[in-house]
Amino acid sequence: MQFSPGSRVRTSVVDPPHHTRLPQYARGKHGTVVEREGQWALADVNCAGRGDAPVEPVYAVRFAARDLWGSGEHAVVLDLWASYLEAAS
Amino acid sequence: MSGDHDHSSDDVHHDTVLSRQVRAFETLLADRGVVSSVEIDSLLEVIERATPANGSHIAARAWLDGSFAERLLADANTAITELGLTMGEGPDVRRLRVVANTPQVHNVLVCTLCSCYPVSLLGPSPTWYKSEAYRSRIVREPVQVLAEFGLTLPAGTEIVVWDSSALTRYMVLPQRPPDSDDATEQELASLVTRNGLIGTAAL
Amino acid sequence: MSRMNDVGGMQGFGAIDPREDAKPFHEDWEAHVLALEVALTDKGIFNTDEFRDAIEQMAPADYLAASYYERWFVAIRTLAVRKGLLTQEELDAVLTG
Repeated sequence: MQFSPGSRVRTSVVDPPHHTRLPQYARGKHGTVVEREGQWALADVNCAGRGDAPVEPVYAVRFAARDLWGSGEHAVVLDLWASYLEAAS
Repeated sequence: MSGDHDHSSDDVHHDTVLSRQVRAFETLLADRGVVSSVEIDSLLEVIERATPANGSHIAARAWLDGSFAERLLADANTAITELGLTMGEGPDVRRLRVVANTPQVHNVLVCTLCSCYPVSLLGPSPTWYKSEAYRSRIVREPVQVLAEFGLTLPAGTEIVVWDSSALTRYMVLPQRPPDSDDATEQELASLVTRNGLIGTAAL
Repeated sequence: MSRMNDVGGMQGFGAIDPREDAKPFHEDWEAHVLALEVALTDKGIFNTDEFRDAIEQMAPADYLAASYYERWFVAIRTLAVRKGLLTQEELDAVLTG
């Protein structure tokens, strides 16, 4: 799944039993893609050390503090693997 | 905790124990042919060459040379090689991303999940940067945290907090200080602090 | 399930100590731990994600009580045993010395 800059996304609501790089404060939140950062082995699989982790695009996604916590005027940008994201309207 | 500076006598003892344990562990690995002491010494030398001065140098050059600044913001990994600096090579090479402060936007960096930082370029991160206190609060209440660092931004400044959760490593390009038109590159570089490169200071 | 490292937005950690460090590492052993981590990942003994995972699997109380590089040392030695570089008995001997 590819996301273009400016597109709206929603992060996964899944609370995984394993290592992940989606912080709990950003689960199930709406954000806007800033840009594609690169492509790297998915951390959630790579942590098993088998060398078989899929390489996925990673996107910088910007969230309004209000959307994360209900208050605040700032923005938070996270670098998120494509698996953590789905398109939102 | 990871944010502690002060050392009690218990801490001193603890450090002595750790020092002995790390040394014994290294010796065992060397005896097994896994990592030699020569390799460790060589890495220690490389580690020592990474310092915030590298970041100050980058910032000063960007202030003086607008086209370097453009190249830096577009592709920092390549641009810094013009100054003899590098983020390394290979499939796991970290992307360096420089985010520029402007009169409208102030950037500040964190890694809430651990404490990712461009160590290979700037050296180790500050102790406070690694602390649970900083990592927990900067994403939630940056205005208050910056005030505790002595930084109050003009009203209406947008704050963007970058949480480096993947393989991009960030560095802030502070705003060039006013009244610095006659400053040399060296003088400009000397104005930039490690905190300025993270965003907890203006410079 | 989230681990103790996932602290963004969490309260209760107290004031930030903004003091500048006197030097890059508080103690020499910390620099050695960093060098070991770089060497072992460069050699493919383990990767960075395995390393972070090992830190995150520390019991929360142990994670919070440990200093930053102490966490790194815990992860390195845990992985060293897991990858067969040394046995648990050999590690215990190193630790109790």
